[in-house]
Amino acid sequence: MSAAIETRGLSKRYRKVTALGDCSIDVPEGRISALVGPNGAGKTTLLRLLSGLAAPTSGEAIVLGGSPRQDPAYLSAIGYLAQDIPLYRRLSAADHTGIGAHLNARWDGASVRVRLSRLNIPLDQPVGTLSGGQRAQVALALTLAKRPQLLLLDEPLAALDPLARRIFLGTLAEAAAEGNLTIVLSSHLIADIEQLCDHLILLANSQVQLCGDIETLIAEHRLLVGPRKDTTAIARSHTIVREETTARQTSLLVRLNGPLVDPAWSLEEPNLEELVLGYMSQNYSSRGINTELAQLSPIGGGR
Amino acid sequence: MTWITWRQYRYQSAIATGLLAAVAVVVLISGSHAASVWHSVLHRCGTGQCGGLFGSSTSLDGPVINALVVATAAVPLLPGLLWGAPMVAHELETKTNQFAWTQSVTRWRWLAVKSGWMLLSAAIIAGVVAALVTWWSGPDHALNADTFLANRFDIVDIVPVAYAIFAMALGICAGTVLRRTVPALAVTLIGFVGLRALTAQWLRLHYMAPVTAFYNLLKPYIPSGSYLGVAQGIVGANHKIAAPNFNVPNFNGVPMPAACQTAQKPIPCLASHGYQGFLTYQPANRFWAFQGIETGIFLVLAAVLLGVTFSVLRRRDA
Repeated sequence: MSAAIETRGLSKRYRKVTALGDCSIDVPEGRISALVGPNGAGKTTLLRLLSGLAAPTSGEAIVLGGSPRQDPAYLSAIGYLAQDIPLYRRLSAADHTGIGAHLNARWDGASVRVRLSRLNIPLDQPVGTLSGGQRAQVALALTLAKRPQLLLLDEPLAALDPLARRIFLGTLAEAAAEGNLTIVLSSHLIADIEQLCDHLILLANSQVQLCGDIETLIAEHRLLVGPRKDTTAIARSHTIVREETTARQTSLLVRLNGPLVDPAWSLEEPNLEELVLGYMSQNYSSRGINTELAQLSPIGGGR
Repeated sequence: MTWITWRQYRYQSAIATGLLAAVAVVVLISGSHAASVWHSVLHRCGTGQCGGLFGSSTSLDGPVINALVVATAAVPLLPGLLWGAPMVAHELETKTNQFAWTQSVTRWRWLAVKSGWMLLSAAIIAGVVAALVTWWSGPDHALNADTFLANRFDIVDIVPVAYAIFAMALGICAGTVLRRTVPALAVTLIGFVGLRALTAQWLRLHYMAPVTAFYNLLKPYIPSGSYLGVAQGIVGANHKIAAPNFNVPNFNGVPMPAACQTAQKPIPCLASHGYQGFLTYQPANRFWAFQGIETGIFLVLAAVLLGVTFSVLRRRDA
């Protein structure tokens, strides 16, 4: 299957601050990719570069076979939902549908009406009077009405309550099932999107930490828990992502470079959250900042 | 894009049309009255009974309507201030640009269509008001010959349209560059008022080399028609302005000859010593040339501002 998104050394700097550095990722067509990372990791920057709203400082991105650009053909293939779900607050969903119909050659206005009436969201009320969850649904319905090949969603769940989140993700899963659609969804609610996503992009400190199929990534990692002891033997043949030592025991997140058989350790596959938190806190401690915060989420400690 | 512009601004357009209609009604009623008074005056003058009407500017119109007409100098600024400055800035502030600019229309096309309609609306509003004011001022100008003066020149014929296009371009450009509505409003207001004051008070006097007339101090000289005065004063013999010398008595800054220093009536004395009055001015027949030059200046500036707007929008991230 060919790649929907392919970036090589993609970077974005604002004066002295690097928002995204040397980002190289591949997202195959048809995948639903979770873009995760702490605040300020560069998630929004990456999505804006892919949408063509921002231009990279260096490197390149190939999205749907071309570089993101201001061109009707490219724009019509991309569905972009910005953070905070910006809509014209005084206009209704129906007005927005009208705008979409005038700004897009391919536009499925009927699908907006169907989706929204099924959720009992009024079409003729100013969107500013709707709840956050309803507004998110309106924005998603409008984005889907473009019939995009690539959907870029920036923290769409952040402002939603758990029920609205579930409905939103349901709509998304449905859309993904309907047709040939690649989705990149940024979020820090890992548990929420675990069910939906089959691909992971993990950013921390403006760098890509992990990128790939979630099942494969999990199979490549192990949680090791054992009595406190020297880890150099493990480190010689495998990569220790994160190490945590208490008075009595040592827990490790390890990226395997081959078979690992050691009766001294109890071995387990990490779940997605453990994997992501392992890489994120590795990043905290390796830079010497906030090691206390890193210890707030011990890997596999309670199992 | 046209439909969207209309959808976003239909209420504002309705309000603007209503206000224009109200101004039009007032001006039309007052103007018809002024015209009929003027015609009756002309008629009486034809029979040799002009009375005291000439030289009295308040006989044709009341002070309120006169103030309203003078206040139309602000009309060209309003569309640029109210619609131009927020046009891009408000989208950026509410982030709706991220919705608008990720539909299947490039942002330059979005800007081109939207600013096109904005510029056209501004031109129409200013044009309608200017046409009304021009018509209304007809008898007044004929009576008082003041159409070349600042505050009159600025509200009639074609310059108000150019001012409005400039104000709109300035508002759009300021909003795009500054990305925030309130600072953009301030820049538009200050920029427009500043440039208008600069042109009206200083630049306009020098569009063409002015004409200077010398005249006998005892017979005041008034050029025919409505002229634009640049300078006026007294010169010594041979049209030479005497070097300033404040050790001797002065008359209007001109050193007086010894013989006149003690004269009871200095002016006849100066006149008899070859002193003359001078008036430097732009004659009435240059009125349309000046309207054209000033229109050109403001349109060129508007084009530059729009060019800046497009290039900023093209190069900067949304």
